[in-house]
Amino acid sequence: MFLEAAVFATILLGFLGTVWKQNLMMKIMAMDVMSTGVIAYYVLAAARKGVFTPIFLPERRVDYADPVPQAVILTAIVIGLSIQALMLVGVMKLSRTHPTLEARDIELKNS
Amino acid sequence: MAHLTIVWIASAFCWGFLIYLLPRLTRLLALLGGVGSLGYGLVLAGQAEPVRLRLLDHFGVSLFLDGLTSFFIITNALVTLAVIFALWESEKSPFFFAQVLMVHGSVNVALASTDWLSLYVALEVLSIAAFLLVVYPRGERVIWVGLRYLLVSNVAMLFYLVGAVLVYESHHSFDFVGLGEAPPEAMALLLLGLLVKGGVFPLGLWLPMTHGEAEAPVSALLSGVVVKAPLLPLIRCALLVPQVEPVVRLVGVGTAVLGVLYGMFAQDTKRVLAWSTTSQVGFILAAPEVGGFYALAHGLVKAALFLLAGQLPSRRLAVLQQEGMPRALGIPWTLACCSMAGFPLLAGFGAKVLTMQHLLPWQVWGMTGAAVGTATIYAGAFLLPWKPLAVPLTAGFWAAMGVLLGGLAVANGVYDEAFTWESVWKSLVIIACGWGLYWGAVRRVGVRLPLGLERLEHLLGMMSVGLVVLFWLVWSW
Repeated sequence: MFLEAAVFATILLGFLGTVWKQNLMMKIMAMDVMSTGVIAYYVLAAARKGVFTPIFLPERRVDYADPVPQAVILTAIVIGLSIQALMLVGVMKLSRTHPTLEARDIELKNS
Repeated sequence: MAHLTIVWIASAFCWGFLIYLLPRLTRLLALLGGVGSLGYGLVLAGQAEPVRLRLLDHFGVSLFLDGLTSFFIITNALVTLAVIFALWESEKSPFFFAQVLMVHGSVNVALASTDWLSLYVALEVLSIAAFLLVVYPRGERVIWVGLRYLLVSNVAMLFYLVGAVLVYESHHSFDFVGLGEAPPEAMALLLLGLLVKGGVFPLGLWLPMTHGEAEAPVSALLSGVVVKAPLLPLIRCALLVPQVEPVVRLVGVGTAVLGVLYGMFAQDTKRVLAWSTTSQVGFILAAPEVGGFYALAHGLVKAALFLLAGQLPSRRLAVLQQEGMPRALGIPWTLACCSMAGFPLLAGFGAKVLTMQHLLPWQVWGMTGAAVGTATIYAGAFLLPWKPLAVPLTAGFWAAMGVLLGGLAVANGVYDEAFTWESVWKSLVIIACGWGLYWGAVRRVGVRLPLGLERLEHLLGMMSVGLVVLFWLVWSW
């Protein structure tokens, strides 16, 4: 229960960061915090019935973790990483003309 | 058919990666991808039985393709083909064409998959490829627009992922069907993700600026097919889960009305077209069971309009009204505008009639208003004077127009029962009202609607509001 609350707090704080933070770099970092929360939630969902690594051995009689959410979130981690990398490249380009990277300034100039 | 489906899904990506290895054959390979999809879509449309595929047991990938899907696949294929033709003689690098195929392939996957995780992967790949196409000119403005798009869509997809795991916990699979048994918060989270990606009011207001600022062929691709990818899953959920249907219908009406309202008063041609895309998304969602045909009609016309808008001498509507448009573009432009407004003998007419017949009583007034508004928007564009201006038009451009407008004429035959005296008369009255509204009011008053909702902070902030409202809607219905 405590873990679940902590995970949701991470997700919400990350989301709040994307709205609240003015610096574009910080917005992206906040998005990463949010995705960390989501990944943790998948891990938590996998560990509901057991925490042992899901490698089946006949002589081992323990409660295995659910492999499906773990496998699935691996894909999402990879995708999140590549999107993050792409956005950082974009930010690098923008920082030449807008060294402060204030989202509001860039927006005003480009809308 | 199962084997064919898998080959078809993989082929677009294969051709795309092959372009990197054989850059000389770029345009040919890109064309192959489009033609393959067109062929598959036509074969699928002729099938009586839907195709069901389930790979790796109940928690794996599941695909489902039926007649509804075939409309979307054909739209995707025709628009991609048209964009490739339009860029045939351009200087675009093989990288660009490879990304076009990535967009094409991931849209195909998103249309075919009926489990939350495959859909997630497809939509994320789609947004990466679309981002790369938008920022291809590497100007500061497009980079900002692209970043904004990526940030908004990725945050929305994170909410979506939480919803997906909630479905898994209650149903032990990621199938769309599981949504019915899932708690309301799962439904709200998943719907939020799809609505934001689909550019639905008031969550998807990233759309007008993104579609307006991209290059013309990229806008054609974005408006023609990319927004359709999250719409089909929304339609599927609405048909599968009774609690979702009223929500989808409601946001459909809201989007249609809001989109035309903004579109009427926009001053920039591409922005007008982009706002019109927002409103047409509403039309597709307002009657989910017949949304496929509407998506086809809209995709073809909007792609044609964006390609044409790219050839106009100015983007400002006021300048165009003074100086006129090149005579060579006149006929395709008029045809496309007529189809958008729902003029008989073009596919837009059949699609509108079909949608209007499947509305619920409480939707009728809103959607009729939106139809009148659409006619008003295109009255402004329709009445541009034709002038003998010279524009460099390539053969590829005309081939693209041939594909899109030819498709429009052929699609007209899909629903020929639409041609009753009553519906023809009704649509003419709607168009007349729209034109009257344009001449009487819109042309004279220069209203500037506030664009604050399009700011990045508000786009993100609206998601929290949207989440609360969606939760309440799903929970109370």
